[in-house]
Parts: sequence; structure tokens; C-alpha cells
Amino acid sequence: MAFLSKRQNKTPLGLYVHVPFCRSKCEYCDFYSLACKDDKLMDGYLDAVCAHIKEAGALAPAYKVDTIYFGGGTPSFFGADGISTILATIRRNFDVDSNAEITVECNPDSVTDRLLHRIYAEGVNRISLGIQTDDDEILKKLGRPHTYAQAVSAFQRIRKAGFKNVSVDLMYGLPGQTLRNWQETMDNVLRLLPEHISCYGLKVEPGTPLYSYKEIANLPDDDLQADMYLSAVEMLRSRGYRHYEISNFARKGLYSRHNMKYWTGGEYLGFGPSASSDFAGKRFVLSRDLQSYISGIRDGGEVMEDVQEIPLRERAGEYLMLRLRTYQGIAADEYEQKFLLPFDPIRKILAKYRELGYVGVNDDGRWNLTAKGYLISNTILSELLIAQDDSQPLSRFY
Amino acid sequence: MTELSQIRNFSIIAHIDHGKSTLADRLLEQCNAIDQRIRAEQMLDSMELERERGITIKATAVTLRYTADNGQTYSLNLIDTPGHVDFNYEVSRSLAACEGAILVVDASQGVEAQTLANTYLAIDAGLEVLPVINKIDLPSARPEEVKSEIEDIIGIPAEESPEISAKNGINIHSVLEMIVKDVPAPTGDRSAPLQALIFDSQYDAYRGVIVYTRIKAGIVRPGQDIRMMATGAEYKVVEVGTMGPGGLNPADALGAGEVGYITASIKTVADTRVGDTVTTVENPASEPLPGYRQVQPMVFSGIYPADGAKYQDLRDALEKLQLNDASMTYELESSIALGFGFRCGFLGLLHMEIIQERLEREYNLDLITTAPNVVYRVTKTDGQTLMVYTPLDYPDPMEIQLAEEPYAKVNLIAPQEYVGNIMELAQQRRGEFKDMVYLDANRVELHYDMPLNEIIYDFFDALKSRTRGYGSLDYELIGYRPSRLVKLDILLNGEVVDALSFILFADNAYPRARKICEKLKDNIPRAQFEIPVQAAIGGKIIARETIKALRKDVLAKCYGGDITRKKKLLEKQKEGKKRMRTFGTVSVPSEAFMAVLKLDED
Repeated sequence: MAFLSKRQNKTPLGLYVHVPFCRSKCEYCDFYSLACKDDKLMDGYLDAVCAHIKEAGALAPAYKVDTIYFGGGTPSFFGADGISTILATIRRNFDVDSNAEITVECNPDSVTDRLLHRIYAEGVNRISLGIQTDDDEILKKLGRPHTYAQAVSAFQRIRKAGFKNVSVDLMYGLPGQTLRNWQETMDNVLRLLPEHISCYGLKVEPGTPLYSYKEIANLPDDDLQADMYLSAVEMLRSRGYRHYEISNFARKGLYSRHNMKYWTGGEYLGFGPSASSDFAGKRFVLSRDLQSYISGIRDGGEVMEDVQEIPLRERAGEYLMLRLRTYQGIAADEYEQKFLLPFDPIRKILAKYRELGYVGVNDDGRWNLTAKGYLISNTILSELLIAQDDSQPLSRFY
Repeated sequence: MTELSQIRNFSIIAHIDHGKSTLADRLLEQCNAIDQRIRAEQMLDSMELERERGITIKATAVTLRYTADNGQTYSLNLIDTPGHVDFNYEVSRSLAACEGAILVVDASQGVEAQTLANTYLAIDAGLEVLPVINKIDLPSARPEEVKSEIEDIIGIPAEESPEISAKNGINIHSVLEMIVKDVPAPTGDRSAPLQALIFDSQYDAYRGVIVYTRIKAGIVRPGQDIRMMATGAEYKVVEVGTMGPGGLNPADALGAGEVGYITASIKTVADTRVGDTVTTVENPASEPLPGYRQVQPMVFSGIYPADGAKYQDLRDALEKLQLNDASMTYELESSIALGFGFRCGFLGLLHMEIIQERLEREYNLDLITTAPNVVYRVTKTDGQTLMVYTPLDYPDPMEIQLAEEPYAKVNLIAPQEYVGNIMELAQQRRGEFKDMVYLDANRVELHYDMPLNEIIYDFFDALKSRTRGYGSLDYELIGYRPSRLVKLDILLNGEVVDALSFILFADNAYPRARKICEKLKDNIPRAQFEIPVQAAIGGKIIARETIKALRKDVLAKCYGGDITRKKKLLEKQKEGKKRMRTFGTVSVPSEAFMAVLKLDED
């Protein structure tokens, strides 16, 4: 039994690798990435990430890695060799669970058969494909370097390569998009039968090209966006997808295990510029600049920014804010035991919203938000957080 | 005490940005006063707010020792004056303490309107006005033209006026020589009973009130018992002296002609009204100096803490502010919507803004200010007459026999090409044209009777913009006149929010009601339900807008890196929510109250 208890003692850990390269920048994107194919820079990045993984692996013998996620940027644009090298380095330096979920984000224009076969062989078992919309005109407006036909072909090739767990990203609230257009997109994409779908409302972020002309971009207003969201929720549910997070839907059991860590307070370590971590009680972000990330890792300099130790009281706020994004929601006993704060003030507000149809209670007595509630979750959350701020701890030893 | 012949009392008049404060600084420098103080730029405008806005709110004074070319040493008393129409009375008292005024004119911009009003005040007060041409170092300077402009427009000689650059310290010496030569020495009988003019006072936590004064007759010294002739308050003098650049310089006595301060353990500035005369109890003057009038607040508004729990903090802050500003009044008021607060009286809108800003900054309070109003007089059907300081007290229309509003006599001066614009503006504001006088070939003075209510909001600003800054304004109350007044109520979700009610002229009610509903609609955040915003007179709805229900307020994406960002976003939203007042089921942010105040901006 000795090996069993040892195994139980290991804490699960997610790894995130940020690949900051793209063919081109999309008009709305505010993630850190560079639109270039510079071999020297990519080599420098690869060396740095691998060195970083080595360094970090030495600090995490008590962890078992059960999810790995390659995001970006566009990992598929970075190529099979790089991904394989990083994955191999991870396996050499971390204890990776044999059932680990390993996801690679791909764009339709850079998914080659060679890449798919290679990463499949390396153990990647989940692909997230960025489709966004089936409307080529909108794709063009967004600055996406592919058509919908390319996306369909990419999806089919992913299947052919053997992937059983495929997610697609879609967006609503796009320039010129109508409710009917959005419903058609959903219809068409659902014919591909993906296991997982993310539907994101477009958020116009300051600093992006779109931001500078948002007034004339013909963006759907809040009411139309709400209708788009609700119609997606309804359609996906009727086709058997579980609505397990505000913007995420999946076949039963095929939730993104990696992303669930973000919403349920799991630990994760990030690699690559701008990647964030929540590890051993600290939350931090890595340098948001590739050059300083590379030189920082190489010269043993500082690459961590915004290092924060999150006090329990703040974790309690995060619990509400993150957990209520998911179908699991929150529970009174869990809350009180974890944070030693009274649930009553929280319950009072939730009960009020429940009467209005924004909040539900599931069979286990856990509170969660309804689709309508998700749509105004910030309003509900800020009210909950005020109540939490005003509440007195249950224990004087707090 | 300084010999009368060695004293010069003067103020500086200038358009904003023409260099008044810079010149004052240079004068201090030349008199070697500069090293005696910590060099905050432009020391005379010592309130943070004054420096920031570039305006002078309180009068201040400083005594400089200057040894002139003739070998004699003089006491130069520089009295700085406020520059806004709200403070016209204070300006007139400061000028009454002087014999001369330096008129600073920008060498490239020439004579500007704002200067004119104060220049005429100075001329009317019998002061010697001495022009100085500033900023001659600028390439665009045209000193000769500006000089003839001064002679043409104002009608005072300017040929010999010093051409200076206050910024670069050019020719400052000649300004000092001019002061010595051309400002008349004060006169006054030092053996006569004491008559000291109060031109300002300031509360100091250690000494009590410091009274700034110009001695017109007699002598004041420590130990004397003094009386304020208007308020009747009596005190024993603790200290007298002059205001040096670095602080107060105590002296044995102050005599006629001198400018200085008196302290007498005075607890409140309410006892030391600007314009009052100080005399001795033992040998009192037979009459006070002319020109005193009790300054009355003309504009009233409710000030409430944004956070209802901060009521006591607000009371403490108002108490402290009033120690220093007797022209502000406050009285407890309670509103159903806002809870406990105060009905405060101000000289005008600028005064109100200043007090509000000081409360927020110096006392760190978040405030909700209700729409300002004037004082209405209402005679009820039972014959009882009441003064209405707040819309909360306005009687039911059924009980009103006669409603009256205060009127003011308004004098407007501007170059003649703007007469058309001014007439149009005055008519919009219900002005009753009296007459028009040509002051000279170019300038016109117009007289109107106008409801005070129409003046206090933004009339001064509107006048400035319609006369490209050349128009000037002065007004005085002339009493009450019958008027058709109504009280406009605002309803949110069907319930009257009393703090948003206000009184106005009946004919203005419809357009105003529409505008307010629109503004509120834009400033009240959407809730989970539709909120009707209505305006009503005596229960009859005259305007309506609808705030649509909130349907989307969500961060769609939230992964690792976004958690900190999302937290910040929620934190902001949370803080915003805390600043809101809830009326029934509707939350109203304090900004919404402000937005209602600023109706005329668009």
C-alpha cells in the first residue's frame, strides 16, 4: 500500500506553455504574440522555455502533472518540432500522469498533417481549433488568415489523424454579425460534431486595432449579444452539450480539465512570456516581452512580474468569482469550512436572484448561475463581494 | 509704526494669465523677501485649489520693505484680491484698503474684459491706477499699441508705463519706483479714535482668527479692548503686526495708513465680517467706515455624504470650513432619499464648487450635491409667508396664494459688437431690458432686471462665451417679484426622489424636464428590470424616459492571466456600487446628481 499513499500525496498540477508566435495579428487580439517567422527568435524562445521547464521541474517533486496546455499565439504555427521538444522536456523534468490531458491550440491555416501525426504520436490528446465564424467576410474583417473552408478541412484532418477530443472556438458579437448569421454558424459548426465548444463574446480591448475604430465597426449592441448568447446556450443544450462554464460547452465528461483548474482554484505553472501561474500560494505573471524573457532565463535574471501572495480573505472572493463561472457553483459548507466566513450574507443575495431566475440550486444543494445569470454575472458578483467584505469571520482565530 | 509718507498701499489687477502672481513674486524677490520663505511658486495664491485653478479666492496681503533710489525706505503693502463675480464685495473691500492699483496688461494680448470690471471698481474706489506692460520679451509683444489701447479704452495715461517681463525679471525695479512715486501715501489721523477696516480674516488653530486690516484712523495695540462695530463683538487685542513674506511679524502698534493684522483670541470669523470696522471700546469712533454690508448667501444646495454613515464627518468638516469662511452657511436637512445632510448657502456657484471641492479634498469626503436654488418667497392661502430655502419645503400648489422669486439688477459691459449676442442671451434668461449706455465709442453698458435664478447657474460663463471673454457682469439684489413657479419632481420606478426635485419658472418646465430625464437615463446604470424615469408637476407626468433592463454584464473569457484583471474589474464595479444610493429598488450613482446640475453644458 505504500506506493498508493505516496501517489495520493502528490498534488495535481497543470502546465501552460505560451507560444507567442502568429502568422498575423488579429484585429481584436490582446494576447501577447509576435506576427513573424524568425527562426533565430523561435530558437531562442525554445531554448528559454526548455531551460525554464528544467528549472521549475526541480522545484515541483511533490506534484503530478495531470494537464498540459499549449496556448498562444498559435502553437500550430510554431510547428511540430518545437512542440515535441517542449513536451519531451516536460516529461523529463516533471512527473506527468499517464492520463494527462494534453491540449494544443491550432489555427486552420497552420494545421498540417505532418504536425498532427507528430504531436499525436507524442501523446497530445486534445486539439483546440480556432474557427470563430463560418462567415468569410467577417473572418477577413477580423484579420484572420484563413477561410471557413480551411477550417472545415482542418477539422476533418484532425479527426483523421486520430484525435478523439476536439474543441472549437467560436465568437459572437462580431462586426456586422446578425442573430441569424450567428445561428447559422452554430448550425454549420455543430455538423462537425466537436466534443467541446467555446463561445466567446467579442470584447473590444484597449490597445487593439479594433479598439480605434470600434464606433464604426458595426458591432452588435449588448442586447443583441445577449440574444446571441442565449440562443447558443439553448441550441447547444438541445444537442446534448453540457453548459459547464459561462462560455464553455462539452459532451459529458469532456470538459477542459486544464481550464477547470483556473476556475476551481487548482494550481498551475506557466512557461513562456506573459504566461501566468498560481503555484504554492503565489500568483505571478512572466515577463510580457519575449526578449526579456529569453535573457532573463538565460542570465538567471528576474522573469516574474506581479508576484502576489493571495491572502485567505482574497481567496474567498476568488472562490465566488471563479466557481460561479462553472456549473458546479458554490456550496455553503465548502465556503464556510474553507474560508471561515459566514455563508448567510451570500445566501441572502443568491436567494433574491434565484427568485428572479438568475440563480439556481442543483441536486447537491450547490448554488450556480443560470444562463441569464451568467450574462449579468459581474453585477451579481460585485454584490456578493460587497456582502463578503462586510461579513465578520466565523472564528476569532482568523 | 511707519510714517505715513513712507507707506504705499496697492493691489494688482490683471486678466487671468497676464502675470499677476508672477509679478507679485518678482516684487517680493526685489525686496529681498524671497529667501525668507519656502519658495512655493506664487506664494500669494497659497491655497492648493487657488494654485491649481489659477484664481485667487481669498484676499491676502504682504508687507515689503523697499529702499528706493531716493535713499528712503518704504513699507509697501501689496493686497491681493479675488477675481470672480461671486466675490465682488470682497474685491471692493480690498480695494478700499488701498490708494493705488497696478494694472498688469499683456503686451501682446492687450486689454481684456475681465480686467476692465476690476479696473472700474478701482477707479470708482478713487484709486490711482498705474498700468504696467508685461511680457515684453515675447516676440509678439506690441507695447506701444497696447499703451494706446489702455489710453483709449480705459482713459488713463500709459505713455510712461514700465515695460516689463515678470517672468524674466526685466524692469521690475521701475515698477517699484513707480509705486513709490505715483501711488499716493495714505492719509489718516493717528490721534483720532480707531477705525480699522477688515478686508479679510482667516482662522488659525493656534491664534484664533487673524484679522487682516487697514487702519484708517487711530492706533491699535496689544491689550486694548476692541469692538467690531457691525457685529458688536468685543475682544482684547493679543497681538498686532504686519504680514511678512515668511509669516507674521509682530509689532508694538499699527497706526493709521498701515496694513497689518490683529489677533484677539477670536473664535470664529463670523465675528470679523469683511467690511466691518474695528474700533476701541474705551474711545470708540462715532461711526463705522462706509460700505459695510452683510454678505448674504444667494445660492443654496443640499450637501449629503455619498456614504450615509459619513454624516458626522461632513458636519465636522463644515464646522471647520466655516471657521474660515463666514459667507457660507449650513443647516441640518434631511431627505427621504439621501438621509441626513446639510442645506448650505453660498455666494454663488463658483463659491459652491470651491467649498465642495475643499470638502472632498481636504476632508476626504464623497459628496452628493443637489441642484442649487435661490430663496423663494411664498405666501400661503392662510396668509402665512415663508422663505423657501429648499424644494423639500415648497408647499403644495393648492396652498399657494402667491409665489415670488428674487430679482437682481444686472449690469453688463462689453464692446458694442456683442450687444446683439448679449440681448439674445438676456432675453433667454428672462431679462427685462432697462437701458443701454455708451461708455465710449466702443463700449456699451446694458442694464437688465433679471431673476437671480437665471444668473446663478451659468450666466457668467454663457456671457463670456458669447462675448469672446470681453463681457463683464455685476449684479445686486433688488427684491422679490411675483412669478409663476412650479416644483418639478423626478420619479424613478414610480417613486419620487425628493433630492432631485427643484423649483423653476413654469415656462421652462417642459424642456427642462425632458433634458433631466434624458440625463438621468444616461447616468443611471441599467438594473435587472426596466426603470421608468419620469418628471412630474403636482402629480402630472410631463416627461418620461425608460432605462432598459440590464441583460449583459459579463467577462466571457477568464483564464489564468485574466484572473487578476477580472478581480480588478470587479473591484472597480464594487466600489462604484458602494457609491450608489438606493431609492426603492433603483441604485443611483452620485454622478447622476452632478449630471443633473450640468444640464446646460450641451
